[in-house]
Amino acid sequence: MNFSFDRYAGIVFCAIGIAFMIGSRSITASSYGSNVGANIFPMFLGGFLSLMSVRLIYETFRKQQHKSKSNLDYKRFGIIFTAAVLYAFFLEDIGFVISTFLFLLIGFQTMERGKVWKSVLIAACFSYGVYYLFVNVLDGSLPGFPAWLGIS
Amino acid sequence: MSTIDYLAHGLATAMQWHNVVFVFLGVLIGTVVGVLPGIGPMSGVALLIPITATMTGGLGPEEAATSSIILLAGVYYGAMYGGSTTSILLNTPGESSSVVTTLDGYQMAKQGRAGAALAISAIGSFAAGIISLIGLIFLAQPLSAVAIKFGPAEYFSLMVLGLLAISGLAGKSMVKALMMTAFGLLLATIGIDSVSGVERFTFGMPELYQGLEFLTIAVGMFAVGEVFKTILERENSDGEIAKINRILPTKQDMKESAGPIARGSVLGFFIGLLPGAGAILASFFSYVMEKKLSKNPEKFGKGAIAGVAAPESANNAASGGAMIPLLTMGIPSSGTTAILMGAFIMYNVQPGPLLFQDHPQLAWGVIASMFVGNLMLLILNMPLVKLFAKVIETPAKYLIPLIIVFSVFGVYAVQYSTFDLLLIMACGIIGYVLSKNDFPLAPLVLGLILGPMMENNMRRALTISNGDFMIFLQKPVSLAFLIIGVLWISIPLLLKLRGKKVIINEEG
Repeated sequence: MNFSFDRYAGIVFCAIGIAFMIGSRSITASSYGSNVGANIFPMFLGGFLSLMSVRLIYETFRKQQHKSKSNLDYKRFGIIFTAAVLYAFFLEDIGFVISTFLFLLIGFQTMERGKVWKSVLIAACFSYGVYYLFVNVLDGSLPGFPAWLGIS
Repeated sequence: MSTIDYLAHGLATAMQWHNVVFVFLGVLIGTVVGVLPGIGPMSGVALLIPITATMTGGLGPEEAATSSIILLAGVYYGAMYGGSTTSILLNTPGESSSVVTTLDGYQMAKQGRAGAALAISAIGSFAAGIISLIGLIFLAQPLSAVAIKFGPAEYFSLMVLGLLAISGLAGKSMVKALMMTAFGLLLATIGIDSVSGVERFTFGMPELYQGLEFLTIAVGMFAVGEVFKTILERENSDGEIAKINRILPTKQDMKESAGPIARGSVLGFFIGLLPGAGAILASFFSYVMEKKLSKNPEKFGKGAIAGVAAPESANNAASGGAMIPLLTMGIPSSGTTAILMGAFIMYNVQPGPLLFQDHPQLAWGVIASMFVGNLMLLILNMPLVKLFAKVIETPAKYLIPLIIVFSVFGVYAVQYSTFDLLLIMACGIIGYVLSKNDFPLAPLVLGLILGPMMENNMRRALTISNGDFMIFLQKPVSLAFLIIGVLWISIPLLLKLRGKKVIINEEG
């Protein structure tokens, strides 16, 4: 167990709990003449969450810390995560087929270098295949090709 | 109408040709999900919700809901079948409830009895599926008859009990589990309050007005989080895949495993009924029980067939048992059933005592489809097990980016918003970091789904009592639920204080 993480997480969740309690004070306390408003539930839970967080922080001080080494592949994760965020962000602008193709190509090549043509083929088949199946066969709706491309 | 009539109607629904196709797809995808390490039943079901929503688009609302739930339930119990395959052949469980199967299953595979182990686990799962279904059929009506008498106070306390039970058993630290539950419930309050119409914690952001969609959170936390974990930690499964020689078990094998299958099924079914327990505990307990009952316990861990038959039957029976609290009371008892419940709500079907009155076609159709599905799984798994073993070899290189694409595609197809897509990426990171540090995620998603119902019932009860919180203690049934909930949390704590080891349930 990583106690320094637990301590920070405890502080963050405690803050979240307190923030919900403060936030719920600005919600009107009563509705339709009942004296039970929309504020009670989040107020109570916020309090409970901060209490539990304090208890967690207390636990991290009581126990001994023992370190465990971990070997994480940050570079690979960084590339794929950035690509995924960009993919999510630009999906509507450049359309499902193109963005999926690009993301898959980057993803495949980051996971393991080599066999570029195989990656291109799988990415192309998959991105267009899913689009075709979903839009033309199942009558779903996805962002198609961008208008400036002039395809459809 | 009697139960038998309802069941016959349900069977007629389940045998409609499109529903047969849905069952087949469900169990097939479920088996693949179970076989593939990296996607468990929870992320599998969450990823398929949007796809089923589109596939059923041409049907009426009731039929669409029936067909979708049939498919999603198929994924759920299909994954239980598939999970055993990797445990036996690779010594790595495909999903967490097959951990115990690795003990004897892999040993059997090493001795060249992989085929027999796989066949016994398929037969055991089938028997367990049928036994838990019979239990479901007989318990469904009486339980919903009881549950329909519950008022808002009783419901609120029942949900408190369910959440406490899950927090008490999930993960290594109960404090963390309770924090996650509270956090999930708090996230559920974001958006417009359904009773008074007041906006809460939206900070004027239009995306937040409809609240956080559970599908986005579930896909992000489970599917994307799991993918991020695989990318970061470079999990290399370099174990040799054992060869499968003969598939049919010998007569001796059948004789040795008949008892464990029967006992495992019954035990698993009752453990599945309990909130918070579930498939992992069921498989673990049944293994321990068989070891105690066995005439030669020293064979366990060295390839005893009973050590495969019992836990595999138990985890399947538990997944059937877990459907009962979901269908009759509307209280999910595990992460996967919570996601199934989310699917019900998406189709505007409220699981609970009224389900059997308002939507008999759906309720009994799903139950009957589980008969059909289990039969299909048995047929699929016996001859095709070699094919499924090939699925294990799917290179992670292609699998990982494809799961991300499916998550993005699935969420976009339902939500149509870039905000939700960015949210799944954020949830993926949060989910990965939290679960790596032993913060369980299942209570969070459960809180998110139960939140609105719990709050509404609480406020209804308080409106009845004119704001007096004592109403939860004055109603005897409600008081009983609360007491059980407190005991559930405090007994493990007391045992821990006395230095005993407490078994926990680690799902997701």
